[in-house]
Amino acid sequence: MDKSQLFGRRLPLTQAPAGGHNIPALRQVNGRWQCQRCHQWVGPTDQLPHGIPYCRHCLNLGRLTTHTKLYTIPEPNQFATLTSSPLRWQGQLSPQQETAAQAVLRHTQAKRDQLLWAVTGAGKTEIGFPALAWALQQGWRVAWTSPRVDVCLELAPRLAQAIAVPQTVLYGGQPVPYAYCPLTICTTHQLLRFEAAFDWLIVDEVDAFPLATSPLLQLAIQRAQKPTGSHLYLTATPGQDLQRQIRRHQLAVTYLPLRYHGYLLPPLRVKLVGDWRRQLDQRRLPGKLIRQVRRYQQTHQRYLLFVPHVQDLARVQAALQHAGLAGGVTVHAADPKRQAKVQAFRDHHVNGLLTTTILERGVTFPAVCVLILGGDDPVFATSALVQIAGRVGRQRDHPGGDVLCYATSQPRTIQRAQAMINALNRRGRRLGGRRP
Amino acid sequence: MMTCVWCGRAVTPSVTLATLWHWQPLVAPEVCAACRARLRPLHAPQCPRCARQQTTAQVCHDCARWGDAWVNHAIFPYDATLKAYMQQYKFQGDYRLRVVMQPYLRQALAQETYDLLVPIPVTAGTWLTRGFNQVTGWLTDQPFQQVLTVDDAHKPRPQSSKTRQERLRTPQPFQLTPNATKILPNQHVLLLDDVYTTGRTLRHAAAQIYLGGAKAVTSLTLAR
Repeated sequence: MDKSQLFGRRLPLTQAPAGGHNIPALRQVNGRWQCQRCHQWVGPTDQLPHGIPYCRHCLNLGRLTTHTKLYTIPEPNQFATLTSSPLRWQGQLSPQQETAAQAVLRHTQAKRDQLLWAVTGAGKTEIGFPALAWALQQGWRVAWTSPRVDVCLELAPRLAQAIAVPQTVLYGGQPVPYAYCPLTICTTHQLLRFEAAFDWLIVDEVDAFPLATSPLLQLAIQRAQKPTGSHLYLTATPGQDLQRQIRRHQLAVTYLPLRYHGYLLPPLRVKLVGDWRRQLDQRRLPGKLIRQVRRYQQTHQRYLLFVPHVQDLARVQAALQHAGLAGGVTVHAADPKRQAKVQAFRDHHVNGLLTTTILERGVTFPAVCVLILGGDDPVFATSALVQIAGRVGRQRDHPGGDVLCYATSQPRTIQRAQAMINALNRRGRRLGGRRP
Repeated sequence: MMTCVWCGRAVTPSVTLATLWHWQPLVAPEVCAACRARLRPLHAPQCPRCARQQTTAQVCHDCARWGDAWVNHAIFPYDATLKAYMQQYKFQGDYRLRVVMQPYLRQALAQETYDLLVPIPVTAGTWLTRGFNQVTGWLTDQPFQQVLTVDDAHKPRPQSSKTRQERLRTPQPFQLTPNATKILPNQHVLLLDDVYTTGRTLRHAAAQIYLGGAKAVTSLTLAR
């Protein structure tokens, strides 16, 4: 086995490699077993025959038992030195993007943990390029990670084109084996296989599921980063926790409240409706929603209709048809035809798409309006609502559009989402942002 | 809070008037209702020999080709759900998942008539890596006899990675344990295995058990 496979990694191996040191995969702390890869506690009944404990939390990465040993070689940063900047990207940043990029670069050079809070559709990836090129030129080992595999898959070719360094892409079921490279693009789950490896970690969509709710993955980020390293979080919708860190000055923050085309975000408007769930049981939908959908269909305006749960999709579709409207196409996470249906919508073959929160982020449809049915459902967290609102007006020629939220009540999630959009728009207006 | 051993979602114990009246402790099931609903047992019409799910109750093509009177019973069709289960339980080695199948096995074994239960063994190499026999994991307190052993040399690669033709050509991998000739004579043996695919493994095992003097051998598998 090549030694470089173990640089900054933490892998279970059957035979000891030269120069690697090992720790037992499970350690007993106060009578309970703790997994040394994911740092979760092993349940009292999670045992093989003869009472051998094993970790069920990171089972997908290969089972760890008390008989397993984890091997590592401290990260040596053994990369070819770069004499010139590896940045090959030819694009042009807008003045606002340029300011943000310089701020990110400054914080990176100062090795500060930082957050780039840029509105949806601001071009976050490109803003990171100057700092990324600088870091790689310093001989740093850098990881660009995201909780979403589709983000990683979309990002890898873009980075390969923009940055001239070897890169490796890691995700569950990847076809290409791991290689030791200065730039690693991976899902946050894969970080569990690293130990103090990265000088700089970029976490894309830091508030996305499952990272936001998983202490396991948050810990993985901490441990994959070198003690001397730093990280950059990218998001449009930082959660309460990150906002608190900003207030306490534990996290340097760079704002980019304007989209690349210089228009403000469309506001989230709430339409109060009655008990729409009970109406749905009778195959009916709120009149306000029906009238809005009819208006869209008559004017050939394309729209996304978000519902809280997968089970609601078919019922809402049936209710729309019952009201004499085209039902549209439904898409959910486990849909085998998911890609094809989204593509059909993109290609203007269908006018309306009924979906759940899977399309809340990472997708761009030109000139689309958004309707949210049951926006007061806990499924629609503040970040989800802001992201959904961010699907509207991403094109220079169509910077505006409706974001209508049909809800029975106005819980705090909706109020916070409106407050977040308003606060970003206030900052944007100071930078000369225009109303769409 | 209890979570489902399979999908990890929260399970809440159901509170009924009866549980309150009898002052029973609230016990949440280990497997959630959604996971139980995903498991759909085999139903008629089936092949009378191998229990395969089909549209008629006639002997299926594969059993006709075997040309013997083998009788196999199975609980579930080997569909996407069972594949996902076996992947996590057997290949990832999540021994805890055995509890999902224990009630089904208990019920199925209660309906079988047999004198001796013989689970299909795993090789010593598998024991080292997997750490358990996936078949005996499903047994709760049913007595069984391990009269078969299997050699690593005869199993250079797992059955599940072979094609049908390769599987059918597999040579006899089983031997009888020394005490088998004392236990087996005049017994009706029920073989227990995880999946019936071609029937090759079970017939190899049965051939050895007949040599040990058993009067009849049938089989029960989790999936067909």
